[in-house]
Amino acid sequence: MPALTQLLVNGPAAAQAVSTHTLICVFLRGGADTMNLVVPYADDHYYNARPTLSIKASTTVKLDARYGFHPLLQPLEAAFKEARLGMIQGVGTDSASGSHFECQDQMEHGDSEKAPSAGGGWLGRFLRSRADQSTSALSAVAIGTKLPESLRGAPSVSVLEHIGDIAIKAPSGDPAAVVGALRAMYGADVTLLGQRGLQTLDLFNRVSAMNNTSYTPANGAEYPKGNSFADGLRELARLIKARVGLEVACIDLAGWDTHFFQNSTAGSFASNAQKLAKGLVAFETDLKQHRGDYTVMVTTEFGRRIYENASLGTDHGRGFCFMALGDKVKGGRILGNWPIGAMDETNPIGPGGIGITYDYRDVFAEVLAGAMGGIEAANIFPGANLKKMGLMG
Amino acid sequence: MPSRRAILKTAALTTGAAAMSSCERTISSLSSAFGQSLPKKLSPAAGTEIDPEFHLLSRAAFGPWPGDLERVKAMGRSAWIEEQLHPERIDDSLCEMRARRFESLFFNEGDAYEFKKSVLRNELTRHSMLRSIYSRRQLFEVMVEFWTDHLNIDQEKGDCIYFKPSDDRDVIRKHALGNFHDLIRASATSPAMLVYLDGRSNRVTKDNPVPNENYARELLELHTLGVHGGYTQTDVREAARCLSGWTVNLLKEKKGGGKRGPKGIIQRFQAPARGKSFFDADNHDNDEKNVLGTTVPAGGNEADLDTLVRIACSHPSTANFIARKLCVRFVSYDPPASIVQRVAAEFTRTKGDIKAMLRLLLNSDEFLAARGSLLKRPFRYIVSSLRALAADTHVEAGRNSHGPLLEYLSRMGHGLFQYPTPDGYPDEEAPWMGTILWRWNFSMALADGKMADDVIVPLNDLDKALGTKGSRDQIITRWWSHLLGRQPTANELKSIASAADAHQDRGNVRIAKAELLGVMLASPAFQRC
Repeated sequence: MPALTQLLVNGPAAAQAVSTHTLICVFLRGGADTMNLVVPYADDHYYNARPTLSIKASTTVKLDARYGFHPLLQPLEAAFKEARLGMIQGVGTDSASGSHFECQDQMEHGDSEKAPSAGGGWLGRFLRSRADQSTSALSAVAIGTKLPESLRGAPSVSVLEHIGDIAIKAPSGDPAAVVGALRAMYGADVTLLGQRGLQTLDLFNRVSAMNNTSYTPANGAEYPKGNSFADGLRELARLIKARVGLEVACIDLAGWDTHFFQNSTAGSFASNAQKLAKGLVAFETDLKQHRGDYTVMVTTEFGRRIYENASLGTDHGRGFCFMALGDKVKGGRILGNWPIGAMDETNPIGPGGIGITYDYRDVFAEVLAGAMGGIEAANIFPGANLKKMGLMG
Repeated sequence: MPSRRAILKTAALTTGAAAMSSCERTISSLSSAFGQSLPKKLSPAAGTEIDPEFHLLSRAAFGPWPGDLERVKAMGRSAWIEEQLHPERIDDSLCEMRARRFESLFFNEGDAYEFKKSVLRNELTRHSMLRSIYSRRQLFEVMVEFWTDHLNIDQEKGDCIYFKPSDDRDVIRKHALGNFHDLIRASATSPAMLVYLDGRSNRVTKDNPVPNENYARELLELHTLGVHGGYTQTDVREAARCLSGWTVNLLKEKKGGGKRGPKGIIQRFQAPARGKSFFDADNHDNDEKNVLGTTVPAGGNEADLDTLVRIACSHPSTANFIARKLCVRFVSYDPPASIVQRVAAEFTRTKGDIKAMLRLLLNSDEFLAARGSLLKRPFRYIVSSLRALAADTHVEAGRNSHGPLLEYLSRMGHGLFQYPTPDGYPDEEAPWMGTILWRWNFSMALADGKMADDVIVPLNDLDKALGTKGSRDQIITRWWSHLLGRQPTANELKSIASAADAHQDRGNVRIAKAELLGVMLASPAFQRC
C-alpha cells in the first residue's frame, strides 16, 4: 500500500496521525460452549457428561497437561505458545437469569446484581472518562449495523460495516469540491473548531486514501471469504494501520446458542470455532508489524451446561473461558480453577455449568487497564472489588 | 385561513377515524397549511455582523424558522421575549397533535413497563426532537433542554428508562419556566431521580445508620450550590439524613415488601403502586440535623425534604451557580461577571423565578454582544438546520421515522437522555470536537435529500422565497444570510463559490445547489450560534 504509507510518512496528515492502542472486544453472542473450545481433555467427567458432543482427546491441540484446543482452533496454537494468548477459566456474571438478553445487558453495561447500575456501557464510560483527551471521530467503532450496549454513552461511536462508510458523502459523489471549500473555511478559523475541522479533513484523507487502494493484507494474511466476522476484522486491521485514533472496537460473532445438534468437529459450532480462529489468525498475520498496537478480548454472555441434552446440544450455563490476545497479555497459560470442582452442576443459584470463580468485571477491568493504561477502573466498574487476575503483563 | 376550531375538528376526524400512520401525512400537510409553512418572500438579514433578532432566535429558540426573523423584527425583541415567557398563551395545538403519536409518554411510571425499552428510548428522543423543531413555544423547549441537562438522568441506568418519560413531563416540562424551588422539589421525589442517584436506597435504620449520600451530594454539588458553593462533607451527610426514607416501589405486584418491625418480626405493608415514589418513615432518620448552618428539628419526617430543598435553594451560592449556568448556556462560555451578578440578584429577589431571570438575561447588552460565540451542540445543530430549511419530518410514520436523525444524533455523541454522569451533556466545545465528520455528513445528506423517507426539505420553495434572480454571488449571499443571519466574509463567499464552480460546468444544477447548501450547513459559522 505505497500510497498510504507515503501519506503517513510524508503527507500533511503525518503530523496528526494518532498513535494509540486499540482494544478489540469480540463478543460471542448466544452463550458459547467454551468447554468445547478449550477442552478439559484430561477429565473423565467431561467425557462422561458428553457422550456424543465431547472432543476426543486425541484430536485436541494440547495446550498443557489438562487442556487442549478444539482441533479447529489449531491456528491459535502459535499465539498461545508465544505467550500472547491467555485464558481464564470460570468467568461470568452474577445474573442467574440464564437469559441471553439479561446477561449480555449486564455484561455490556458493566453491571452486577449487587452494585447499583452505573449508567451507559462499560466501554462508553471508559471513553467518556477520556473525552477530554483528543477524541477522534473514529475513537470507537462497532462493526455491524447497530450500536452495542457496551458503547452506549461514548462521546462518539461509528457503527460501520466497511471503511467505505467513513466518507464525506458529497451530493455529487466526488467529495473534492466540498473538501476544498471546507478546508478553506476551517483553515481560516483560528479557534479550536477550525483546528479540529482540519484534523477531521486529514483523517478523512487518510481513510479515503485507503478506500481508493484495493486492500492487500500484509504478510500473506488470508481473511476467510464470505463471513462478516473476518470482513470486520480486516477493516479493523486497516484502521489500526492507518492510525486514525481507534481506541475501542466491538465486533460480534453470533450463533453460539447450540441447544440442538451442537455436534463436535463438524456442524455449526465447529464452523463458528473455525471462523473465530481463522479470523483472528488472519488479523494477527496482517498486523504482524503492529502487534504492540492492539489487544483482543473474547467474551460471551455465559458458558453452557456440562451435560449434553437429549437433543444433542447444550443448554445455558454460567461460567465460561475468557480469552485475551496481544503483546500485553501474559499468555501461554490457562488461569483459574480447573472446572472439575464445579462440574457437578451444584451452582447454588441459576443454571448449572462451570462455576464462576471470577467476576467478569475483574477480568474486563484488568484487560482494559493492561491494554489502555492510565485508567481508574473503579470509576468504570463502580462497586467491583477488582481483584488482580495476572492475565495482563 | 380556517379557524383553530376547524383545524382541531379535522385533526379529531383524522386521528379518530384512521390509524396514526395514515393520518400523519394529513397532519404534515395540515401543518404546512396552518402557519408552519414558508412565506412567499424572505428577507434575510443583510449586515456584516450577525443580526440581533437572528441572534435572539439562535439562542432563545432553536434557530429561526423561515419567517420568524421578519416577525421578531416587526414586533420587537422584548415583545417576542415576553410572548415566549408565557407559553400557555401561544397556540401550539399542531405540535401537540403531532406529539400524541408517542403514546408511551402518556403513561404513568408503572405502566411504562408495558413498553419495550427500544420503544421508550426511541419515543422520548423523537418527542424532544419533534417539539424542538415544531413547537412555537421555542424558549420553553430551550429551557426544557437546559433543565434536562441540569437534572440529568441517564435512562440506561437501572429502571430509569421507565420513569424518565414522567420525569420529563411532570418535573422538567412542568417547571421549565416556573420556579426553581418547585423544580428541585419535584425532581427530588421523581422516581427516575430516586433510581438514577440511588435515593431509593437511602435508608437509615438502627442496623444501618449510614445514609446513601449519592443524591444528597449531587443535589448540593450539581443541582443547587455548585461544587465550590461552600458546603462541607458534613453538610452532604446531614442532607442525606434529611432525605432518608424516600424511595420508589419497583416491584411488579403491589404485595409490598417485608419489613423488619420490633423484635425482628417481618411485617407486611401496602406499598404504593409500582413506579410511585413514597416516604417510608421506618427508614428515615428522624433526629435533629444541621444543614448549611440551619437546624432541621427532630421529628420532621417527610417534611425534612422540603426543609432541605428550601435551605439549598435559598443559599446565596445557588443564586450564583444557577445564574452562571444560565449565562454560560445563553451568553458565552466565560460570561461577564456583570450579567452573572444581575441574574443572580434577580434569582434572589424573585426567590427563583425562572422567567424573571430569563427576561433580564435575554434583554441584556451582554446577551446581545455575545453573538456567534457558542458552539451548537449536535441536537441544536440538527434542529436548527431543519428549522432553517422548514423541513418536514415525520413524513412517513412508524418505527423508522426519525431513524436517520436519531442515528446522526448518536453518531455526533448526543443521543438524548443517555449521558451517564449526573452533570449532563457538557456546555463546552472540546467534548464535541471528535464528531465533526458526522455533522458534515448530516449536512450533505439533508441538502441532498438523502433522508427523504424521513425528512422533506422544500428547497425549490425556499429558493423562490429567497429570490432566484441575480449573480451567483448574490444568490449565495442570500442563502448564507438566511442561514447565518449575516453576509458571508470574502473568504466564505469564495469558498462556497468554489464548491459551486466545480459542478457548474457539468450542468447539473440540482447537484450544484445541494453541494452549495451542504457546504454552508457544514461551515464553521453554522456550527456556532
